[in-house]
Amino acid sequence: MIMNVLLLLMTQVTTQAVDSGPVERIATTFGVSWPQLLAQVASFCIVCIILYRFAYRPVLKMLDVRRQQIAQGLANAEQIKAELAKTEAQRQEVMARANAQADKLIEEARAAAARVRQQETAKAIAAAEQIMIKGREAAAQEHDHMLAELKREVGRLVVQATATVTGKILTPEDQRRLAEETAKQVAE
Amino acid sequence: MKINKQAKREAKQLFRFCLVNGLLDENRVRNVVQHLVATGRRDCPAILAHFRRLVRLEIVRRTATVESAAPLPPDLRASIEAGLKRRYGPGLSTAFAQRPALIGGMRIQVGSDVFDGSVRAGLEALEKSF
Repeated sequence: MIMNVLLLLMTQVTTQAVDSGPVERIATTFGVSWPQLLAQVASFCIVCIILYRFAYRPVLKMLDVRRQQIAQGLANAEQIKAELAKTEAQRQEVMARANAQADKLIEEARAAAARVRQQETAKAIAAAEQIMIKGREAAAQEHDHMLAELKREVGRLVVQATATVTGKILTPEDQRRLAEETAKQVAE
Repeated sequence: MKINKQAKREAKQLFRFCLVNGLLDENRVRNVVQHLVATGRRDCPAILAHFRRLVRLEIVRRTATVESAAPLPPDLRASIEAGLKRRYGPGLSTAFAQRPALIGGMRIQVGSDVFDGSVRAGLEALEKSF
């Protein structure tokens, strides 16, 4: 029905244009048919409305949703970035604390090791001194023992040599004198 | 052999019975032994063992052993015997022996008493001092 009205209007306009001035002539020259043009304009508008209604608005809506999502994503990214920075700062702080604690532990361990080394060194020195003292005592004892042994051996050799020589040297007078000395001991 | 106190006491009494003027009488010793054996007592071996020990100690105590490196002249022997009798009384039997191992001098032993004037004894003392 609308289309019929439009066609009637276009027909009237065209009729009036044929009867008009130079514009109508130019339009006639270029083959412009006003009713058709109006019909095309109308159909174009209808198409535009339909497209706007069923294609362009959903697309805009979808784009808006996408824009919001992207904005949300960017905001999330910023938030994540901030949290990451915060976490990084916390990590750095924890690392610094851990490093400080590790340094402290290492220092304490070094101090303890130095203390233990000193103690062990002192013990080793004491043990070495004890060993040296014992060694000296053993050497002195061995020396004394050898000296006594040597003295005994020399004495034995002296006695043996004296016994061998004395028997040959003593004269009968000497023998008598010695016997008389013993007899005097008995008589006293 | 185990010798009890009773056996020792009896052996000592018998030994005293055998002494005459402080000297051991051989006849009495012989008689005592024969008498003990004849009785056949159960403790006879114990008494005899202790009696034998006492007699042996007495004999040793009354015996002088004179050892010398060289033979002793008679006058010196007489002098030694006189000295021993003066010191230990009469009844002392003296035995002389030659022992070259003494090297020089003389050694006299009476019981547990020893008079050692030998060169060997001097050398042994010297060796001990080392």
